Amino acid sequence: MAADPKMRFLVVDDFSTMRRIVRNLLKELGFTNVDEAEDGAIALQKLQGGGFEFVVTDWNMPNMDGLTLLQTIRATPNLKHLPVLMITAEAKKENIIAAAQAGASGYIVKPFTAGTLSEKLNKIFEKMGQG
Amino acid sequence: MSASNDSNDLEALFDSIAADYAPAVPEPVAVVAPPPAKAAPANGDDDELQALFDSVSAEAQVAQADVSGDPAGEAWPKQEAVFNRLGHMARALHDTLGQLGYDKVLEKSVAALPDAKDRLAYVANLTEQAACRVLNATDIASPLVDQIESGSRALGERWDKVFANQMGPDEFKQLAAETRSFLKEQLPQKTEATHAQLTEIMMAQDFQDLTGQVIKKIVSLAQELETGLMGLLIEVVPETKRTHEVDSLMNGPVVNAEGRTDVVVNQEQVDDLLDSLGF
Repeated sequence: MAADPKMRFLVVDDFSTMRRIVRNLLKELGFTNVDEAEDGAIALQKLQGGGFEFVVTDWNMPNMDGLTLLQTIRATPNLKHLPVLMITAEAKKENIIAAAQAGASGYIVKPFTAGTLSEKLNKIFEKMGQG
Repeated sequence: MSASNDSNDLEALFDSIAADYAPAVPEPVAVVAPPPAKAAPANGDDDELQALFDSVSAEAQVAQADVSGDPAGEAWPKQEAVFNRLGHMARALHDTLGQLGYDKVLEKSVAALPDAKDRLAYVANLTEQAACRVLNATDIASPLVDQIESGSRALGERWDKVFANQMGPDEFKQLAAETRSFLKEQLPQKTEATHAQLTEIMMAQDFQDLTGQVIKKIVSLAQELETGLMGLLIEVVPETKRTHEVDSLMNGPVVNAEGRTDVVVNQEQVDDLLDSLGF
């Protein structure tokens, strides 16, 4: 796996516990360069600041939800290339389809395992490598 | 009866609404007719109920008369018709509540709601605390385990040199001493500290007992409320007005997926769905 361990992640979730869990899992996978945001609006601000290479986001959040964040990222020229992995409790099929259509790079339903996260990240890295 | 005080105010309110506006559409008359069993109740509520019934049925007749006698009713602004209809529905609801005895059920449930809010806040609080305790414990224990791993690996590599005859006697003496100290001091110290964190993680689960009890109480409250409201709604809402569930993309976790085809239950199904769509 050729992913850069210095790759800078932004973890977006309104629950600090979840952010901490994702941060810890990323650390175990070798990614220690992780920043956090507690909703889509804050995430967007941080992303506009530049320097991020990967976004992991929840769906249901106050101020700006994850789908809107994803759509905004895809509609913003300097951000649209960013891989966006959704980790969410939303498990309706129409959610998954909406996320895919909006350009999500991956979709993980909560509760999830460390193995699932690793697998999805690798899949996204592979696609990035090809692109 | 505490309800009778309210009902005077409400009656006045509804009477004023009914006097101001006649409904643009005929009332669902069925809802104002009391159940037959209540027609001749052998208790103290008799007079009150009778009076209520008289006023309601009189009103319904007036309303119907207005509709038939005033075809211009359709020309009214839609909002007025809605408010008017709401007023009548609320009136019918209030009466039906009293007649069916739902008011007592609902009164009890509504009184319990602030308490339920406190209880839910308590659950959120306890679970958050537990999550923090567990994450703190893993934060403390992980480096300890890492140190044990790297320490034993380093010693092991030096012992490999011993077995490969690549170590002098002085160095060997030092290795033996360090290994002894690692086994007798560092290792037990770190495993004890790790064990303490495991215990901490275990103890952090004590919330389950407390939240379980609280949640059970709230579930039964919700069931009471649901039963009361559902019964009432079925009484007063015409079949055609019963709308389907609101479509939304923010529903939170699926609590019960049994019999549902619109949700996925695991990651495999997510992947299959995305694959099938070519994503």
